Amino acid sequence: MIHVEHLRKTFTTRTGRFLSAGRRTHEAVRDVSFHIPRGEIVGYLGPNGAGKSTTVKILTGLLVPDSGAVTVGGLTPWQDRRRHVARLGAVFGQRTTLWWDLPVIESLRLLRHVYRIPHATWQANLTTFTDLLDLGPFLHTPARALSLGQRMRADLAAALLHDPELLFLDEPTVGLDVVAKERIRDFIAHINREREVTVLLTTHDLGDVERLARRVLIIDHGQLLFDGDLARLQAAYGSQRELHVDFDGPVAQPEVPGLTLLSHEPGRATYAFTGAAADPIARVTAHAPVRDLTVREPDIEATIRRIYEGDLLRAGIR
Amino acid sequence: MTTTPAPPTGGHVSRRSRLALPWAVARLGFQRQFAYPQAALWGLITNSFFGLLRVAVLLALFGTRPQVAGYTPQDAITYTGLTQAFIMAFSLFGWFDFMRVIHRGEVASDLLRPASLLGFWAAQDAGRAVGQLVLRGLPMLLIFQVIWGLNWPPGPLAWAQVVLSVLLAWACGFLFRFLVNCAAFWSPDAVGFGRFAWAVLGLGCGFLMPLAFFPEWFRALLAWTPFPGMLNTTVELWVGVTSGAAAWAALGTQLGWTLALLLLCRVTLRAGLRRLEVAGG
Repeated sequence: MIHVEHLRKTFTTRTGRFLSAGRRTHEAVRDVSFHIPRGEIVGYLGPNGAGKSTTVKILTGLLVPDSGAVTVGGLTPWQDRRRHVARLGAVFGQRTTLWWDLPVIESLRLLRHVYRIPHATWQANLTTFTDLLDLGPFLHTPARALSLGQRMRADLAAALLHDPELLFLDEPTVGLDVVAKERIRDFIAHINREREVTVLLTTHDLGDVERLARRVLIIDHGQLLFDGDLARLQAAYGSQRELHVDFDGPVAQPEVPGLTLLSHEPGRATYAFTGAAADPIARVTAHAPVRDLTVREPDIEATIRRIYEGDLLRAGIR
Repeated sequence: MTTTPAPPTGGHVSRRSRLALPWAVARLGFQRQFAYPQAALWGLITNSFFGLLRVAVLLALFGTRPQVAGYTPQDAITYTGLTQAFIMAFSLFGWFDFMRVIHRGEVASDLLRPASLLGFWAAQDAGRAVGQLVLRGLPMLLIFQVIWGLNWPPGPLAWAQVVLSVLLAWACGFLFRFLVNCAAFWSPDAVGFGRFAWAVLGLGCGFLMPLAFFPEWFRALLAWTPFPGMLNTTVELWVGVTSGAAAWAALGTQLGWTLALLLLCRVTLRAGLRRLEVAGG
């Protein structure tokens, strides 16, 4: 569906004014290549300013790259923009495509004409999405009066009424409560499964990624640092697992041979280990009487943070 | 690669379906004007107040003279009523909507629609203009009619010419406003340029004063600009200062400027979008 080869984009910004004016170039995207097959959900991650939105703008035809080849569904986005965007859907969490002053349904009706959707298709999709996203209670409410969660649901429906093959989601759950987030994630998973919509998800919310994307792309300083599945990322770069132990009273010697002691206080200690938990547990229980213990998995968020902060991938695993 | 056919964005599209989108957009543009009825009411009250003030100033100018530059006092009242009625429909005090969309980067969402950007905005503004004409224009004319009585176009032909002229004045004005807003593609502080442009518009279109009241050399200068066609032409056709062959010539001039501005808008928009494609938002 998406083929990106050796993509490069440089921006030139003017610095200073008048006589002291100079130019500074900034490489937003450097030699990025990836392929996304039809029907996949891919998480596109990176810190702010990493090059995510530049890539998305190129893929949607809004920016022309300096070099490299891009085809989306067989079209070069910026050369055939109108035909290209007719097959896209997009939701940018921070802004809405709904007409602010008018009832939601009016915006959705307009899309029928914008995308020349056959009336039967439009009606069927509207019915389905109204049902899945529970739009019914606010279809006739002006967009300005919607809650953030309602607005996001309406925007999602708006992005999908014309049966796009490819959906760009940018922070689709930003600012939402847990229940609202889950509802949006369920819906995205559903339309991906049922309609084979390819989804490119840019987000800072790793809950979205864990729930929806098996594969992630990580970009920083314009370079693609990782392209693979989440499990591999976690295995290769995840922190160690942790064993939290409550001893049956104070322990004079909390160190246990073969385990790394992370922290301790009287009667309580935390150890780091890799691999299966059986052996470390056996060691700890042999060392001193134990009242309770828990194994805590490293979370994906910590892994990604380590990657951003520590340049873990810069040496390259690709 | 793809199994679903691309939506029909080109090729054989019937005229009816081609007009369906602008019509739908214009309808929403019209409808949204009624979202804030209180604001419209207070706007009307403000316009009426300044309308009264302007009539008082103009009548003082006439003094005991029966005519100034071809205008009778009754014509001057009609002129004031009409210009007050068109303030909102023709956005004579300025319009920064498209500029704002560019500055906020929201133009990206506009470009994700498989539709003509200029066409979309034009349809939206047409709907807005009709909405404002209904909300603010017609009540204003009614108020003037009740207080002073207005001069009305003398017959069906004059009416037809006035209606045509109103359409062209809107088109000409919209294209000028859109063109000015396009400055935002190049400058992050295009608002100042916009303010200057609206000041020129206010003077050049005959909103501040009927153009006939200005010195000959200034009118000759303005005749080389599109501004008279954005309001003054319509008013002169309505009050009958322009009639006969001159009326058709005036309409032709309006049409010519509309086409020229359309071309200029398309070229400028294309250059602006090209800049956006290269330099980013």
